[in-house]
Amino acid sequence: MVDVPRYWYNIVADLPEPLPPLLDPLWDEESRIALLVRILPSRLIDEEYTLSRMIPIPERVREAYRRAGRPTPLLRAEGFERALGVQGRVRIYYKFEGALPTGSHKLNTSIPQVYYAALDGAEEVATETGAGQWGLAVATAAAMLGLRATVFMTRSSYFSKKARRVAMEVLGARVVPSPSELTEAGRKALRERPDHPGSLGLAITEAVEYVLSGERRRYVAGSVLESVVTHQTVIGQEALEQLPEEPDYMVACVGGGSNMAGFTYPAIGMKLRGEGFEKTRFVAAEAAAVPRLSRGEYRYDGLDTGLVLPLARMYTLGKDYVPPPIHAAGLRYHGAAASLSLLRRLGIVEAVAYGQEEVAEAARVFARSEGIVPAPESSHAIRAVMDIARKAPQGTVIAFNLSGHGLLDSDAYEKLGLAGRTQ
Amino acid sequence: MSRPGFSVYLTLGFPEPAWFPGVVESLRGCVDFYEFGLPTRRPKYDGPTIRMTHRRVVEAGVAGREALRLLRGLDVGAPFTLMAYLEDYVGDGGVEGLRGLLEEAASAGALCVLFPDLAFDYPGMVDRYVEESERAGLRPCFFASSRFPHAWLVRFAAVNPLYVYLGLQPATGVELPIAVVKNVKTARRLVGDRYLLTGFAVRTPETAAGLVRAGADAVVVGSAVARRLVEEGVESARGLACELHRAVHGAAEG
Repeated sequence: MVDVPRYWYNIVADLPEPLPPLLDPLWDEESRIALLVRILPSRLIDEEYTLSRMIPIPERVREAYRRAGRPTPLLRAEGFERALGVQGRVRIYYKFEGALPTGSHKLNTSIPQVYYAALDGAEEVATETGAGQWGLAVATAAAMLGLRATVFMTRSSYFSKKARRVAMEVLGARVVPSPSELTEAGRKALRERPDHPGSLGLAITEAVEYVLSGERRRYVAGSVLESVVTHQTVIGQEALEQLPEEPDYMVACVGGGSNMAGFTYPAIGMKLRGEGFEKTRFVAAEAAAVPRLSRGEYRYDGLDTGLVLPLARMYTLGKDYVPPPIHAAGLRYHGAAASLSLLRRLGIVEAVAYGQEEVAEAARVFARSEGIVPAPESSHAIRAVMDIARKAPQGTVIAFNLSGHGLLDSDAYEKLGLAGRTQ
Repeated sequence: MSRPGFSVYLTLGFPEPAWFPGVVESLRGCVDFYEFGLPTRRPKYDGPTIRMTHRRVVEAGVAGREALRLLRGLDVGAPFTLMAYLEDYVGDGGVEGLRGLLEEAASAGALCVLFPDLAFDYPGMVDRYVEESERAGLRPCFFASSRFPHAWLVRFAAVNPLYVYLGLQPATGVELPIAVVKNVKTARRLVGDRYLLTGFAVRTPETAAGLVRAGADAVVVGSAVARRLVEEGVESARGLACELHRAVHGAAEG
């Protein structure tokens, strides 16, 4: 029987090339790196800068993982195989992170980060959120561990993702539309563009500014940082124990990269160490409106719009990029985690990008064949699986991460025309 | 290179080019070996204090290889290595700049030239760097960060470097809550008996001694000494260096 993993896996120890360091902008005398000590939980910083390959998961966090429903199930998508007409030729498996109480994988890192903030004596955590999955995970972890939470939610999602906003508020979190009047960064953005739809980069700047302006506050990060993506490797470690066979493809969607990293890094690590998965291809599916891995530049760029945080070398569309308010709001971040970006540059991870219509079609097929409404973000991975499966030769095995369900994304599916359609 | 060893990092020409020989002279007896930095306009992976030292020297009109003239005729009184950013010397990808620098470094008496950006920005040039160093009569030396592939540390150890320098913190002079002792122990396991130099944000005798007890062969201090030089003068900087030197040697004996 699969148990909750005892360690997180830090792929940095196995990367084919060293991970470029975080950087302070050359033109500024104030060190953003030094500022991290006032922003992030201490233990998260330690995990960001460790030579250890395996990082022990604190027992308190393992207990919370169990309480939240880990290990999550790995399921064979037999209905989906039939719907695609590939049954008997292709076998498809998916890890279902939507089974967690907040409906997505995000709880895997919100729990340890809020726990670490509490260890520092913090009374409140602050963060950003796009579609609300991360915000909901933070609100949940804060409720579980007895801290207050303030969530800067991108303005477009604040109004369109009402169900998640309300759920966060029920859990006790304060939810603020970003850009907001609460911070200087938000006020500046609103002055320049009163109808600003918000972006994750700007919401991060607001959350960090909010943390720095008060006492006993810590910022918790939804993705991109190495320590954060490392927390998500519980997904992949469980999957490796659950999968009955080694897949030819492992697929996940990409916003900042934590879901893709969490699902694939344990397998990629084995591949890099020569311990298996030699033939496996790792495919990142992103939104065509925010194609940072497939069309972005690999360079140093701000982790946030306001440059409160250090620079990271990553695939980026530019820190000032304001993506259109697409239905998969969780994929609207301008960059991708440094390790994932490096793996993409080295050709170990492949990237594909899909438009909303083709993603909606994938969501429809999956929902009607598997009985699960997928999150719009996860539907990008489903779309990639469809394309791979239809062209795949006999005996191909595909595994993907269904990072969340879409039961709180009715707005997106209404707009995409899936509701009310029976064919 | 003595075991244990204590090193001071100084940007060549800091705090002023004319005062630099006096600073080196004042540290005599409290330093086992020096690391001298070639002043650059882009000290990209350094923290705020070391960046300031580069800026001051460059503004004083000294930059790059030209700074090596400050070592001419100077009795350093201890072995020394150089630090430079490879970016400044490889330009459009040619190795002439690298070769020229290594040759000049050897002529000046340096034991190796450390490029902190080699592994991160020019990972494909590591073998060439080793080859060119040996060609110039130098040993290679390598920088590694606290988030570094294990196989690369093993690879560095395999070419018999003068040292492997483990950066304990994200940038020079910046201290974050990182379990540095644990990282030193991991690095020690990976580099075997190779000379392991540790540095970044070491300020106190207790920290320096703890690093040696964890398995470091040597400790280098830069930002703390530079701050003393600017804020309190040469005597204070010497006092700190001597205190740290005693701590490092005491830890090895104890």
